[in-house]
Amino acid sequence: MTVTETRPGAAAGSRPAPNPAQRLISIPAKIAKSPHSARVLFPIAMFAVWLLSLMAVEEIWPFAVDVLPTPSEVGAFMWDEFITDTLARKNLYETFFISLRRLLSGFAIAMVLGTALGLAMGLSRATNAFCHDWTMAILAMPALAWALFNSIIFGFDDRGPILTVILAGIPFVIVNVREGVRNTPRELFDMARSFQVPQSKVIRHVLVPSLMPFMFAAARYCFSIGWKGLVIAEVFGGQDGAGWTIKFWYDAHRAHGVVGYAAFFVIFAILFERLVFEPISRRAFRWRPQLRTEVVEEAFGEHHEHYGEDEPARHG
Amino acid sequence: MAEIRIKNLHKEFGVGEDKVVALEDVNLDITGHSFVSIVGPSGCGKSTLLNILTGIETPTSGTVEITSDGHVAAPGYVFQAARLLPWRTVTDNLLFVQDDRSDATRERCRRYLEMVQLGDKGDKFPGELSGGMQQRVGIARAFSIEPDVLFMDEPFSHLDAITARALRRELHHMWDETKKMVVFVTHDVGEAVELSNRILVFAKGGRLEDDIQIDLPFPRDPADDEVAVAKAHVLRKFEELDLLAS
Ligand SMILES: Nc1ncnc2c1ncn2[C@@H]1O[C@H](COP(=O)(O)OP(=O)(O)O)[C@@H](O)[C@H]1O
Ligand SMILES: [Mg+2]
Repeated sequence: MTVTETRPGAAAGSRPAPNPAQRLISIPAKIAKSPHSARVLFPIAMFAVWLLSLMAVEEIWPFAVDVLPTPSEVGAFMWDEFITDTLARKNLYETFFISLRRLLSGFAIAMVLGTALGLAMGLSRATNAFCHDWTMAILAMPALAWALFNSIIFGFDDRGPILTVILAGIPFVIVNVREGVRNTPRELFDMARSFQVPQSKVIRHVLVPSLMPFMFAAARYCFSIGWKGLVIAEVFGGQDGAGWTIKFWYDAHRAHGVVGYAAFFVIFAILFERLVFEPISRRAFRWRPQLRTEVVEEAFGEHHEHYGEDEPARHG
Repeated sequence: MAEIRIKNLHKEFGVGEDKVVALEDVNLDITGHSFVSIVGPSGCGKSTLLNILTGIETPTSGTVEITSDGHVAAPGYVFQAARLLPWRTVTDNLLFVQDDRSDATRERCRRYLEMVQLGDKGDKFPGELSGGMQQRVGIARAFSIEPDVLFMDEPFSHLDAITARALRRELHHMWDETKKMVVFVTHDVGEAVELSNRILVFAKGGRLEDDIQIDLPFPRDPADDEVAVAKAHVLRKFEELDLLAS
């Protein structure tokens, strides 16, 4: 018997190495393809669209210049706010601190209550039947409606905005946690039972980690939807806070203030995502294979996703 | 010495129209240093039997008893897919099923990982390993509790032929060395004949149809005449029982 040796590397290695000129040409293509530069390109493109539309509107309706903010106006406004030189009653940092405090209070309450309800609904059909329509109703209600109701009920104190955050965010927590409970990995619980692992250990090492991705989705939604709800609530029922302040600039007919403050909202949300959610999630989901993959040693025909298994074996 | 006693075991799933009989009136004793294979078409209750023996399922009626020198025996279970905790490292997966985390326990876990040639993979997460390596972790986990009886449910069926062959050899070696009882489910008659000294044939509806002793020396080479004859014999039983058509 003859054995022909085939080198797996041979095919890949046969491509000729690019010469320096070719390499130079390929640089712009590489930049265009990289997700990082695509990320950077987006704000630049938006900026260009802004300038172009300003010019276009000016052409059609010259008076608009007095109303429409230019990038330099907005930039100057944001810088003044940044160095706390403001006409508003409270400076940027005080304002965001007040809003953040409300947001975090509402967020914490929504997470705790929502997790409890989601667990109950995931574990018990009766609880789910009882709560399901209510959850959907709360989900369907726009945050604006909650903001109005709560400002009617509570007037101008913290409770209205906080309750709006809770009501806006809690359905997402409930739904996600419930799905998490319904998707708990049965075969891992069975495995633990066959090895007679005690309940407390099973909860800590199987149940909680399996819920983590769902808790994370819940937290992210709750936070961002709660934040939007909060801003609206502060517009209607606040004496301070981010929402109140954007309304203040609106009432003062300062369009650059409105746009600049909206930009602060975006920056705030992005900072939170980058500085809080991303690092935590990277730590919590270290085990996910797409983050750190190693060379697969054996040829392995059927790839089995997750921990699902034990489909009936095929048989001749 | 471990002992398994199964009396009038009956298992049903569902009620009314959905009712499925998974096991019907199974009576069976297994004792000592046996390597018992359970073969039969899919859906004949093989996994259900192991699940009952390991306490995952409870019988509808009948009794099962697993003892070792008069005590309740500790079972180890190797599943068809590895069933590792994806969010714990390989070492922590082994520690998860231990009673304690003492140095002696850690040392034992390390030893069994080495035995399946994964001594350097303790800090990896299962998702970073190939399917064959994950299955080996599952095997190391079952061995690491030093069980009185080792249950294995088609442990090699998802693996490529070469890995499966190596693991089969390794398993047999460990069985020989530790003198433990192994109950091994497979739908591969060749595998059963190669490994076991006793083969139980199950048929659809969960009935135990045949109980075949194979007294040939180990290791058995599939190309060996006597082994081929034994395999042909079991396959003939399959034909008689009309199990091949399924
Ligand atoms: N948890 C379950 N619920 C309902 N039916 C089940 C369950 N587990 C197994 N069965 C049924 O019991 C029968 C035996 O299944 P199983 O023991 O998995 O067979 P095998 O392992 O021999 O392929 C099959 O008909 C299967 O559909
Ligand atoms: Mg099975």
